[in-house]
Amino acid sequence: MTEDVVFTPLRQLADGIRARRLSPVALAETFLDRLERLGPRYNAVVTVTRARALEQARRAEAEIAAGRYRGPLHGIPYGAKDLLATSGGIPTTWGAAPFKDRCFDFDATAVLKLEDAGAVLCAKLAMVELAGGMGYRQPNAAFTGPGVNPWNREAWSGGSSSGSGSAVAAGLVPFAIGSETWGSILSPAGNCGLAGLRPTYGRVSRHGAMALCWTLDKLGPLALTADDCGLVLEAIAGRDPADPTTVDRPFRYDAGGPAGRRFRFGVLRGVTDGCEDAVRESFARSLDVLRGLGTVEEVALPDLPYDDITRTILFAEAASAFEDFIESGGIAGLTAPEDRYTAYARDAILAKDYLKALRLRGVMAREADRVLAPLDALVAPGRSTVAPRLGGEVRSAIRGTARDVMGAVGNGAGLPAVAVPNGFGERGLPTSLQFMGRAWEENTILAAARAYQSVTDWHRRHPADA
Amino acid sequence: MSPAEAVRAEVDTLLALVRERYGGRLDAEQLAGVRTAIEGIVQAARALRAVRLANADEPAQPFAAYRAEP
Repeated sequence: MTEDVVFTPLRQLADGIRARRLSPVALAETFLDRLERLGPRYNAVVTVTRARALEQARRAEAEIAAGRYRGPLHGIPYGAKDLLATSGGIPTTWGAAPFKDRCFDFDATAVLKLEDAGAVLCAKLAMVELAGGMGYRQPNAAFTGPGVNPWNREAWSGGSSSGSGSAVAAGLVPFAIGSETWGSILSPAGNCGLAGLRPTYGRVSRHGAMALCWTLDKLGPLALTADDCGLVLEAIAGRDPADPTTVDRPFRYDAGGPAGRRFRFGVLRGVTDGCEDAVRESFARSLDVLRGLGTVEEVALPDLPYDDITRTILFAEAASAFEDFIESGGIAGLTAPEDRYTAYARDAILAKDYLKALRLRGVMAREADRVLAPLDALVAPGRSTVAPRLGGEVRSAIRGTARDVMGAVGNGAGLPAVAVPNGFGERGLPTSLQFMGRAWEENTILAAARAYQSVTDWHRRHPADA
Repeated sequence: MSPAEAVRAEVDTLLALVRERYGGRLDAEQLAGVRTAIEGIVQAARALRAVRLANADEPAQPFAAYRAEP
């Protein structure tokens, strides 16, 4: 099989597989070869899962030949962020040197659900160590090295799902699973010019995923288009008794929707404050496009310390989730020098302040829902900057060196958001646009993002380097 | 005590706690990094404390009484 299939959206791949024009085995071989050949260029891969992939691909091919087609992910290769447990001797490293040889004897629910959908696991993908929860300030914060951006190899691919971003952007896999506690799906999607979907908290089971913050962690897809994200979400969503935070709200991806639907978009007052000029310019152009798809109005949230609320919850829960590792001094084995000590500071968070953050989170969630209720989506730049340089400092709202009200509210209140590319800025790097919706409104924000992508072509551009 | 002095005093107190627990593992540069991190934590906490809530504003946290079913 030639590499013509690279950068093909999932629906087209699925059509080819279902019609038996594309062989799942040949497709897996193509992407496995790319992962092995190009993965090291981007520090994107921890483990190429060749044996498991070929076994799954052969099974898919046989099932489809026998007329047992499972659906649009049947026979499609993918990669999983290396915080999802995998059985069969495949390591699950959490991106951290102290865990680089650790194996589990079970598969994460998301991995099992994708297997049930017929998808083919081709790689465990690189990530920032411990999903960035220890306070890293630089791209070089993983034992696999800094995630390299396929658009510019002097730039970072983003964090913490760095390999999920660079692998999809470089055409090493058609889609990947990432995780977001605060920004870890939208950041690599934005940095790498991809679609990235952060589902509603509770939509996707985290069983078998590394816990960083129990009340903030979400799993979601990174892919070429918003439509791809919807297809993947349908496969991984659903209640799981092994994750009591999941809810009994079945998700059926609605890829159609009424033709000519008009959307009502909101823009938070001051949401571009602190953004780079190119990010602001891309966003202004995007708003012009969105005005052709509906209405755009300015809205405001009450003055609350949104970043502080979500930051306090994140720091306290991460400190507790990794209490043993931190107190034993295990963090000394991490890659980024600042990850070796910053977490000690979290002993300074008082229980009363954590509870105050949880009380304010309820207020935040209600206020966000009040603002979102009459809207289809809040729109904003996906990131305030393009990807930082590999040797540079990562500005982060988590540490308070950048401002991210959309991320603080979206993650703190557990709201869904999808990011899609909307232009280019400095150093030839992508900029992005995010659509954030009410809880459980993934279909609405995906419809809006699809409508945007139907009249723009940013998602059809791919790095020349790949 | 000025607000800035109050923040510094809070940071000093919390840093003393962290130094007591982990100081043996930290060199001067790392300790300075911990101090910077604690300053951020204190600033965030003071921003949270500045917001008034009603008595009935509960933590947004699920808890359910547990009983194993046979």
